[in-house]
Amino acid sequence: MKTFTYATARSPESAVELVRDRGRYIAGGIDLLGEMKDGLVAPGVLVNVKNIPGTSDIAREGDRWTIGANATLAALASHVALRESLPGLAEAAEEVGSPQMRNVATVGGNLAQHSRCWYYRHPDVECLKNGGKRCYARGGNTKYHSLFSGCMCLSPCTSNLAVMLSALEARIVVQRGAKSVTMPIAKLYDASWREARAQNSLEADDLILHVEVPVARGLRNTYLQMAEKSAFDWALVSCAAAARIKDGKLHGVRVALGCIAPIPWLVEEANEFLEGKVPSDENASRVADIILRDAETDAHNAYKVPLAYALIRRAITRLSA
Amino acid sequence: MKDPIEPQAQSSNFPSAPHGFTRRAFLKGLGTSAISAATLGAETTAKALADVNAERVHGPGAVPVTLSVNGGTMTFQLEPRTTLLEALRLHAGLTGPKEACDRASCGSCTVLLGDDPVYACSMLAIEAHGAPITTIEGLAQSGELTKLQQAFVDKDGLQCGFCTPGMVMTLTALLRKNPHPSETEVRHAISGNLCRCGSQPRIVAAALTASGTEVADRLTIIHPHEHALA
Amino acid sequence: MPWPSNTRYLGKSTPRAEAPAKVTGRAKFTTDVAPHGMLFGAILRSKWPAANIRSVNVEKARAAPGIRAAFAMRNGAFTVRYAGEEIAAVAGISRDAVLDALELIEVDAEPLPFVVNELEAIKEGAPRVMPDQPNLGEGRAKVTGDVDAGFAASAAVVEGEYGTQIEIHHPMEPHGHVTQWDGDELTAWSSTQAVFGVRGALAENLNIPQSKVRVICEHMGGGFGSKFGPGVEGIVCARLAQIAGAPVRLILSRREQALAVGNRPSSFQTIKIGADASGKITAFELKAFGTPGHATGVDGGGGSGGAGFPAPYIYTVPAIRVQQGSVAVNAGASCAMRAPGHPVASVGMEGALDDLAAKLGMDPVEIRLKNDPSEIRRREYEIGAERFGWKEKFRKPGSSPGPVKIGVGCAGAAWMSGGRGTQAEAQINSDGTVEVRVGTQDLGTGSRTVVQVVAAEILGIDIGLITVRIGDSRFPPSGGSGGSQTTASVSPAILDTCENVLAELKQISGIEDPRGEHWLEACRKIGQAPLIVRGKWKEGFSNTGACGVQFAEVEVDTETGFVKLRKILAVQDCGTVVNKLTCESQINGGVIMGIGYALYEQRIMDDRTGVVLNPNLETYKLPGVVDIPEIDILLLDMPERGVIGVGEPCTIPSASAIANAVANALGVRVGSLPITPDKVLAGFRSAKT
Repeated sequence: MKTFTYATARSPESAVELVRDRGRYIAGGIDLLGEMKDGLVAPGVLVNVKNIPGTSDIAREGDRWTIGANATLAALASHVALRESLPGLAEAAEEVGSPQMRNVATVGGNLAQHSRCWYYRHPDVECLKNGGKRCYARGGNTKYHSLFSGCMCLSPCTSNLAVMLSALEARIVVQRGAKSVTMPIAKLYDASWREARAQNSLEADDLILHVEVPVARGLRNTYLQMAEKSAFDWALVSCAAAARIKDGKLHGVRVALGCIAPIPWLVEEANEFLEGKVPSDENASRVADIILRDAETDAHNAYKVPLAYALIRRAITRLSA
Repeated sequence: MKDPIEPQAQSSNFPSAPHGFTRRAFLKGLGTSAISAATLGAETTAKALADVNAERVHGPGAVPVTLSVNGGTMTFQLEPRTTLLEALRLHAGLTGPKEACDRASCGSCTVLLGDDPVYACSMLAIEAHGAPITTIEGLAQSGELTKLQQAFVDKDGLQCGFCTPGMVMTLTALLRKNPHPSETEVRHAISGNLCRCGSQPRIVAAALTASGTEVADRLTIIHPHEHALA
Repeated sequence: MPWPSNTRYLGKSTPRAEAPAKVTGRAKFTTDVAPHGMLFGAILRSKWPAANIRSVNVEKARAAPGIRAAFAMRNGAFTVRYAGEEIAAVAGISRDAVLDALELIEVDAEPLPFVVNELEAIKEGAPRVMPDQPNLGEGRAKVTGDVDAGFAASAAVVEGEYGTQIEIHHPMEPHGHVTQWDGDELTAWSSTQAVFGVRGALAENLNIPQSKVRVICEHMGGGFGSKFGPGVEGIVCARLAQIAGAPVRLILSRREQALAVGNRPSSFQTIKIGADASGKITAFELKAFGTPGHATGVDGGGGSGGAGFPAPYIYTVPAIRVQQGSVAVNAGASCAMRAPGHPVASVGMEGALDDLAAKLGMDPVEIRLKNDPSEIRRREYEIGAERFGWKEKFRKPGSSPGPVKIGVGCAGAAWMSGGRGTQAEAQINSDGTVEVRVGTQDLGTGSRTVVQVVAAEILGIDIGLITVRIGDSRFPPSGGSGGSQTTASVSPAILDTCENVLAELKQISGIEDPRGEHWLEACRKIGQAPLIVRGKWKEGFSNTGACGVQFAEVEVDTETGFVKLRKILAVQDCGTVVNKLTCESQINGGVIMGIGYALYEQRIMDDRTGVVLNPNLETYKLPGVVDIPEIDILLLDMPERGVIGVGEPCTIPSASAIANAVANALGVRVGSLPITPDKVLAGFRSAKT
C-alpha cells in the first residue's frame, strides 16, 4: 500500500469535504484495501465514514425500510424483523463472503464495491477498466464474466445486495456535494453499462448514506445464488425476485440477476409477462427465455445461461412457497 | 483533548477510529450542531479552534495509535497504512495471528474485535484504535487452556497448526454467542477459515466436543481376524 | 514384526505434543522468528511471461529510505521464462519500505513471445520456451505385449480423454526463511520439509562449508512436497542478510506462492483400454503429455521429464503401449506434490476402467476385483463395499432419476512408502526425564508425537517424561519428510535408540529391567551428567507398499452443475499404527486434498497476458469446511507388516473416486478435473442433445 492520510468524518458534509483531495471513503475497507495492496488505486486520503451519525441504523417506518449505508452485512442478516419482511435481502447479505467479512463489510461498501474481474484485479495487467487499452476478458477467459454489456468491459456486477435491492425497487440516498439526492437503484449502476471505466454511477465524492426499501402489502421476495463452493465464494450467477401474490397470481413482479451484466440484470418485458400469471414452472421458463434472450456467450461463460435459467425458475417457484 | 487521537462514542459495532477533519468542516460544524458558542466558554472555543488548527488529518507519517489488546493497552507510532495484523505481529509482538493470504481470503489472521471475529489483515490498525481486541494470546492467559483449546488438543483439531489461531478465535466467538451450536452452525461459522492440511472434520469435532455434544468416531480399526489377511 | 503387541501408547491415540503451543499461539513458525535488528526482504519478479532482461538497476532502490541491501539476481543480461521469475531483491527496515523500494528498481526488458497453455504450446509455430528445443518432448514409448492383438481380441474397447489440471500446493504458511550471519556462520530458520536438505543446498549455493550452516525449523505450516530445498528465496534471503550485515526475514506472499514455488504437473491423457467378456483387461494404450512449467524438455522415457506418471497404474495388463511427453510453457515449474504422479495416473486409469465397466455392463467394484493384483486392495474393496453399502447404492450410469442425480464411484491406490536412514539420540537425566533429539521435522504430520509415542512405549515410561527436539540440523540426521517416509524412517531409529538406552541403563544401574516402575530408580544412578545414547534406523520394523481404496457418493444438480459430496469412505492399510489420532487426521487431510483436486482447484493461465489469473485464495479455490462431507475411515490393522507411512497413499484415489461417482450420476464423463459447474453443465447438455 502507498502512504495516505487518514481522517474521520462526523457528518456527510465533512466527509465530502475531506475526500476531495484524491480521496476514497473507507467503511469495512476489505475491497478498498485489497485494491490498494494490489496497487490498483492509491488514494491520497482515506475518509472513515463509519462515525457519521445515523448511518448504521436499520429501521422500518410504515411501508418502508431505511437501511444505513454503514449497517454491517452481519447486522442486516441477523435483523429479525427485517428478515421477516425482506427474507431475500437477509439471504443476499448472508451469502456475502464469510462471517469475518460480514462483521465489517457494510451495505454501502457492498453496493459500491469494485470489479472482481481477474484481469482488472491483476497487478500486472492493465485492462480497459483500470486505464489500459483493451478488455482482456473479451476473447480471454470469461468464466466469471458478463453475458450482456453495453460497453467493451465484461466485468459483471457482483454485489448481492444490488441484485436483491433491484428486485425490491430500492432507492439510494447519496450525499452529493452539499445536498443529499435520492435515486432509484438502477441509477447507481447505469454508468457501468455504458462506460468501461465506470465501477458504478457514483461520482468520486458521492457518498451512499441510506437505502430505502418499500414494502408493499403482501410482498414476497427471495434471493438465490450458485457458486462453485458451498460457502465463502462469489456467485457464478445470482437471482433475486420480488412480487405480490394475490389469489395465487403474481403482481408487480421483478426478477433481477447478478453476475451476468455490469448492472443488476432486469428485463421489463419479463416482469410484465408475469403480471397476473401463476408462478408455474412453465411461466418461469418462459420468463427465463425472455431474460436471457440475446445473451452473448463464448466457450467460457456459456454455462451461465442454463445456470441462470435454473435459478430464475427456482426463484419464481420459491416466491410462491 | 489531550491525545491527538481521541476515542469517541461508538455508533455501531465498529471501533471508534481517530477522527480528523478540515478546519472548514469543523467551523461549519461549529455553526450548525454539536458545539455551540453558548455552551462553550471563549477559552474553550479557542482551545477547540487550536486543536482544529493542529493536524487533524492523520499521517501519512507515523501517528500514535492505541490498541487495546487482550485486556491491556499499548500505543504505537504507526503509519495509517499499517494493517491491524502488521501492528499486532510486528509492533505488539503478538505472532499468534498469522498472515497467510493478506487478502481476507483464508482466516489465519482472525482476531476478535469486541465479540466479533474479523480479518486483521484487512483492517487498518488506526481503525481499531481503542477497540477491544482479543488475539489467540488473550485466551488461556492464566495458563489453563479454554475448553475449546483443550478440545482442539484432544480431538486433534490441527495438523500444521498455521490456521489454528484463526480457527480457535472464530470458534471462540461462536461458542460465546451460541454455546450449543449444531454441526451446520459450526461449519458455517468457520466457512471463512481455510485449512490446507484438511483438519476440518477434526476441527468441527473439537468445537462440538467443547460445546458438550458427543461426536461419533469416524475411524474404525479392522482387526486381523476381521480382514483375515495373512 | 517385533513391535510390542500389548501396548500403552503405540497404536493408541496420543494428542500431539505441540498442540498446546499451537492452540495458544505460542508456537513459533518461521514467519514468527524475529532476531534483534531483523530486516525484511522482498523479491522483484518478472511481470513478463518471457523477456530478455537487458539490465537491472537497483541504485535508486538501494538509496531509498530504510533500505539496507539491494541486488539484481544476475549480472549482465539474462532471460526470464515466466511471469514471476526472480529479477532482483531488496532488504530494509520495514515491509512497506521494501515494497516501496521494489518499485524503484529499473528493469530494461525486451518482451519475448510466450506461450502459457499446453494445447497452444504443442501447436506448430508456437513460441519456444527454450530456444534450442521444441516445447513438446515426446519421451520414449514403453511397449509390452501385442497391443493391437489385445484390442482385437477384446469383447469391449473404450477410448476416452482424461485430463488433470495444474494444482498448487498452497500450504497455509507461505515459503520463507529468516537468516542470520554470525561471522562466517549462517543460521537459517526455514519453513522446510528437510532441514538437512536446506543446509546442504544453502552451503552449496553460498559456497560455504556445511559445517557453517545451521537450519532450524521448529514448527512449519505445511509443505506437501514444495519445501524440500531453500528455494531461490532462501538463497536470496541469506545473501541479503550477508550484504546488509543484519538478519533478514523473507516470507513469500500468497501471490508468489502461486507463481514460483512449484505445482503438480497437468496431464492430457488419451486412453484406450480393452477387456474380455469377463472384464479382464486385455490391452492398454496411453498417449499423454502435460506440463511441468518452463523447466522441461528432458524426457527420459515414461515421462520422466517432469509431467510423467505411472501407467496403467496399479493394474497388471498383458499388452501395454505408453507414450508420455512433457510440454514446456512459460509458467512456474512443477515440483513434487503429495504422491507425485499418482493422483494423475489414478484419474486416467480409474476413469477409463469405469468407462470400460460401463460398456461391459459390469459393476466397477467387480472389474477391480478382477484386475487388481493386490490381495490387500481386493480385500479392502470387499470390506469397503460392504461398509459403504455399495450394492444398494450402485446403479447403472445415468440412471438416477430427477434433476439431482446420485452417483457412486471407487478407486484404488498404491504407494511405495518405506523410509530409512534416521539417526537419533536420547539424553536421560537423573530425574527420569528424557530428551530425544532427531533432525527430522514436523510438517503437520505429527512426527514429534511419533517420536514421543515410540520412546514412551519402548522405555515403558509415562509420555510426559519425554521431550522431543526436532527440526534442527545440529541434531542427528534424518531425511526429508517426503514419500510418506518419515514415520517409517524415524520410528525404528527411536526404537533402536531406546533399546540402547535400556541396555546402558541396565549396565549403569544394575537393574535388570529399568522400564516402568524401575525407571526412576535406574535413572537416579546416572549421576549429574546425563546419559546420552544414540541409535539408528534398522531393518525389520518398517515396511513399504501402502494400499488403499476409496468410495465416494455424490449428488449432481444437472440444472446448476453443482456437485455436492455426500460421503467418502477411505479404506487404508498402514501396517503398524503408531498414533491413531494423527493417522486419522492425515487420512482426512489426504481425502480433502483429493476433494480439492476433483472439484475446485486449478491454476488458470491467460493466453494473451501470460499471467496466472488466479494467484490468490479467492479464485484458486480450496475446499472449505462446508464442502467437506462425512469422511469415514477404515484402517486395516496389520501389525506384522511394521510401520508404513500413510500421508500420500490416502490422497491418491480420492479424486478418481469422486470423478467416477460424478460420471456414474450423469451417465457421461466430465473429461477433465476440476469438475466445476460449467463443465458439468456443458457435458451433461451436450450428452443430452
